[in-house]
Amino acid sequence: MDPSRSKLTYSLILIVGVLTVGPVVMLVLGSFSEGLTAFGQFTLDKYVEAYTDPALLDVIVNTTVFVLGSSLLSTILALFLAYLNNRTDIPFKFLFKILSIVPMMIPHLLFSVSWALLLNPSNGMINLVLKNVLWLESAPFNVYSLWGMILVEGLLDLPIAYLIIAPAMASFDVALEESSRVFGAGTWRTLVRVTLPVLRPAILAAFILGVVRSLASFAVPSVIGMPGRVYVLATHLYQMIATGFATDYGKAAAVGMSVLAASVTLIFVYRALTAESEKYVTISSRGYRPTVIELKAARIPLFFVVAILSFIMAVLPVAVLFYTSFVPYSMVPSARAFSMMSLKHWSAVLTDPLSLLSLKNSLFLGVAGATLGVALSIFVAYVIVKVKTRAAGILESLSFLSFSFPGIVIGVGFMWFFVQTPLYATLWALLIGYIATYLPYGIRPLASAFVQVHSHLEESSQVCGASALTTMRRIIVPLLVPGIVSAWILMATMFVRELTLSVVLSRPGTEVLAIQILRFADDGLWGKLSALGIIMIGISTSLVLIATLVGAQFKAEQSAG
Amino acid sequence: MKTLLIAFVISFTAATVHAADQDLLKRARSEGKASFYANITAVEPIMKAFSSDTGVKGEYTRISTTKFVATAITEFEAGKFMADVVQGPLPVLELLKDKGILAAYRSPAAKGYPEWTRKDDRIQLFGIEYIAVIYNKEHVKGADVPKRYEDLADPKWRDKIVMPNPSNHATTIGWLVGLRDHVFKSEAEWRKFLAGLAANRPMFVASLGPTPAPIESGEKPIGISMPKYIVTKAPAPLDWARISQPMLGTPRAIGVALKAPHPNAARLFVDYWLSKKSMEMLAKDVGEYVLAPGVYPPIDGISKAKVISIRELPDAEIQKWGAEFKKIFAVK
Amino acid sequence: MEIRIQGVSKRYFSEGKAIIALDDVDLTIPANQIFTLLGPSGCGKTTLLRCIVGLETPDSGEIRIGGEVVWSREKNIAIPPEKRGLGMVFQTYAIWPHMNVFDNVAYPLQVRKLPADVIRRKVGKTLRFVRLEGFEKRPATKLSGGQQQRVALARALVGEPKVILFDEPLSNLDAKLREETRKELRTFLGELKITAVYVTHDRVEALALSDTIAVMREGRIIEVGAPRKIYFDADHRFVADFIGRANLVKAKVRGHDDGHTIVDCGLGAIACHGRDLPAGSEVTLCIRPEFIRIAKGEGGAGRNVVNGRVESLVFVGETYEGEIRIGNELLLAKIDPDVDLKAGDPVRFSLDPAHCLLLAI
Repeated sequence: MDPSRSKLTYSLILIVGVLTVGPVVMLVLGSFSEGLTAFGQFTLDKYVEAYTDPALLDVIVNTTVFVLGSSLLSTILALFLAYLNNRTDIPFKFLFKILSIVPMMIPHLLFSVSWALLLNPSNGMINLVLKNVLWLESAPFNVYSLWGMILVEGLLDLPIAYLIIAPAMASFDVALEESSRVFGAGTWRTLVRVTLPVLRPAILAAFILGVVRSLASFAVPSVIGMPGRVYVLATHLYQMIATGFATDYGKAAAVGMSVLAASVTLIFVYRALTAESEKYVTISSRGYRPTVIELKAARIPLFFVVAILSFIMAVLPVAVLFYTSFVPYSMVPSARAFSMMSLKHWSAVLTDPLSLLSLKNSLFLGVAGATLGVALSIFVAYVIVKVKTRAAGILESLSFLSFSFPGIVIGVGFMWFFVQTPLYATLWALLIGYIATYLPYGIRPLASAFVQVHSHLEESSQVCGASALTTMRRIIVPLLVPGIVSAWILMATMFVRELTLSVVLSRPGTEVLAIQILRFADDGLWGKLSALGIIMIGISTSLVLIATLVGAQFKAEQSAG
Repeated sequence: MKTLLIAFVISFTAATVHAADQDLLKRARSEGKASFYANITAVEPIMKAFSSDTGVKGEYTRISTTKFVATAITEFEAGKFMADVVQGPLPVLELLKDKGILAAYRSPAAKGYPEWTRKDDRIQLFGIEYIAVIYNKEHVKGADVPKRYEDLADPKWRDKIVMPNPSNHATTIGWLVGLRDHVFKSEAEWRKFLAGLAANRPMFVASLGPTPAPIESGEKPIGISMPKYIVTKAPAPLDWARISQPMLGTPRAIGVALKAPHPNAARLFVDYWLSKKSMEMLAKDVGEYVLAPGVYPPIDGISKAKVISIRELPDAEIQKWGAEFKKIFAVK
Repeated sequence: MEIRIQGVSKRYFSEGKAIIALDDVDLTIPANQIFTLLGPSGCGKTTLLRCIVGLETPDSGEIRIGGEVVWSREKNIAIPPEKRGLGMVFQTYAIWPHMNVFDNVAYPLQVRKLPADVIRRKVGKTLRFVRLEGFEKRPATKLSGGQQQRVALARALVGEPKVILFDEPLSNLDAKLREETRKELRTFLGELKITAVYVTHDRVEALALSDTIAVMREGRIIEVGAPRKIYFDADHRFVADFIGRANLVKAKVRGHDDGHTIVDCGLGAIACHGRDLPAGSEVTLCIRPEFIRIAKGEGGAGRNVVNGRVESLVFVGETYEGEIRIGNELLLAKIDPDVDLKAGDPVRFSLDPAHCLLLAI
């Protein structure tokens, strides 16, 4: 490794380290300390108590099924959609954009609640319809089950998986597929034997991100798992610490350490499995326009599948939100419900100064946070992919550190950390915390984009006399535009709806949208919650549109110039 | 006396006010603001009224109950506790008091409150987070509405009840234990009730917040919830079951922080909070059960209800009962 | 500009095993020559090139370019590639797909912040030189392989570097284009006073282009010399074998006579190019197929007359490739297409001692 690269690697380790290690160190301290803060008498009691809990085994089994199931679902769906969108002549491709992005923008809590409204066994709308149509005795679906949890979490994590897999699919070198076809393999065989293996880094990245995310997820386990009495790690942690008033986050951190260990192990496995990423380099100087596969007879049926998926993933939840924001209280749709509709909740939200302040703050955090986060992610992803030293491996693990901690715990870690700094209770604490925690959202899409940029493209710039920074600006960044757009969208929409950190770090003046939504949820005010949720989706939609347009503009300029 | 005080606080410019109070107001105004850490619904109107009536800015920091103690202690130990006034369920304030975070202050505004609301010189109780059986008027016929808690164990409610998770929701655990202490005659009868309730397979939600939605929509026509939702969720078809036994709840408490950055504003705020004006706002707008004499939420029949505050359970006992309830309710 | 490489070693770790890519390499590349690093894949030639340009960091040793130390472990000097002022043509060409031809070529000048009109002039001149004028606005992705190669060359040349490096630049071209481009390259480089380091595994390319060839194997330089020396008079069996088709026959030195070394082998007693080897030593006799001249009829007079039989004949265009059986030995020979022979025919031919090379095992 040349010295400038190692300097870059070490400065990034320092930056990312400060961002992510701080809170985790605090949590480690807390898990070994008596009392309720990070500093206290040394004790092992928290570990003993946490790990001798007889319920733990059951929880681990449920968690494993939940996590693997939902990650598998999101990855497979993402692959399916990315393939159809990028490689086939399926009609109405804009649907895919919507399909992949909209669930990103719906707060997870609202998404889960929408699904409970649709699929609960007592009066879930889909169940009621099916019962009437099919003359069933009882409801066919019960969302309050492990399967329900897998379904909803899988759909929630789909956008992340899609945004990682789609750019890789888009810049795929068709020669690889073509040669397989030439050797007599059919479309299906080519897909299984060539396309999927070549996309392995992106697929694995999507899957592992899904695993880590669903491990840390709280909304689905609490809204869907708890009523069905299916406990996974997140709800188990919550039960363990929140039974009583002196919530012991140190004890939660003690359990969190195993989750962290599992996640870090996964990341190492991932690195090992994709170590020879050079093999998968696909963009070179030759044109990188993939050819389109004609679906022929399958075109319309496949389109229907996508349309139905779009409907249940994007249209239905948003429709439920709209409906809830107009009716005075939670009602099953009926003529009476429609007659009672009003804009009451909307005007209440739009005149509430706190909601407006939180709107402003979230918008700032979304735009500034995603921009800074993507800038940092470009460098980190570069080192992770192109500099294959142990230090780069350390950097990658560091970037996942805060991310892979269960959400309800990491926020407290950040509080313990920031309270030692002058940033405590400022908007900057939120900004830094967001970037630190969701760094993988920036790094993953960029890393899979990086993998596909042949190192010669960059080396030749260096030999031409360009400094590392110039190379980054003039060669690497322009080639990464699809990855950058994906990363920015992932981060911006995440930051606009961020809850776990905000709930701990937000103070008067630094309220954000999700906090405001949580307050409405705590008070059972679903109407206001839905109205604000729709406003939130509106903001995210605008951000996504802007990012996409800027990216497209950039591409257009390139091909014109 | 009390009315006078309130009159003062509200119309602070009046020339007739007491010199000492005038002094407090002056000092509070020079401090500029009072920071209020709490987790209570929709108190923004009170904060606004406080600011406009006193000229001292009231700033509300809402911290959820599960994070309250951890946040307060963390900030306190780091020397960054920014609260002037803290409000929360009594056990939370007791914990803060044990940590030495609360200052002594007896508000003159609480003079008219019942004696038992003055726990000691640091904590003042002002309300009860009361729990009741709430039902959907459209789905439950008058005759079916439970008249005693035992009626919830009737098999006709199978798969029709929603309640907070009794294995971890502290307030609900306290409530169930409170039934044993205050309502049921014997441990055996109480256990029979629990077994019956469990057999009805209630749907668990994380806290009281999500309980009204399934009742409103009819997903579960009845539930263990709070009467205040009848006010906040109007015109939802909610009503409370007039149960002959007493209603139970966790007391809500308020206190001044020990190293309050604005100590005078803190006192002024507590006085204002405990005044009849504030308590009426709390009762009227949020449906809270408050302890200021003669103030009731606008819920039919509540003024006649007997509301008892549950004894404080230490966390160890809450956890023990939580584990016990988890077993009892482990019915699939 | 001369390049001096001293004691350069480089190891890689892959799947837990250390792979020695460069093993204490000492090499001097003379100024203003086309110098080729030739060797089979994995011999370390590309690694050495990348060490010179600065894209790889050696583990030890020193590299000087024109007297300036660009890398030294001992002196702790490491000049990054962008400061070495070199030009390089990559195997993949590394034409940036998001830029047009002009921007690709102008890039080295742009990063040096030259004025726009200077850049335009120099790029224009260089594009003319590589015969790509009129392609300025063409997107890089719309070029043929040969055009991309020339853009890459133009980009490497435009900054007037002291040294230009080529990493197998022709390997992605088809055979005919490769031959044309090779000739072009030779012409281009001949016109410039420039040191060129050229990496290839293709011996024809090496022989055709180079002023000097260094043959590498397993991270070491085996032999350095002019193409003719390497081809006709290699010191090492590996080099002789690698640089061209060769018949290698085990032999034993019998003695020396009249400036020739006489060996015993499966072909009989053969007088060879003189070599200072003691009698009785085991050697390898190397005879290139093109020097086994088989004419029609009773040929072969003078020294080293050999009798054999045609085992097979393959027509490859300009010549026949024939296998000749002599006892247990099988020799590959080039046979003029007009010679009327068929498999099974007896042949008789002589070997010029000047083309019978002896290699110490």
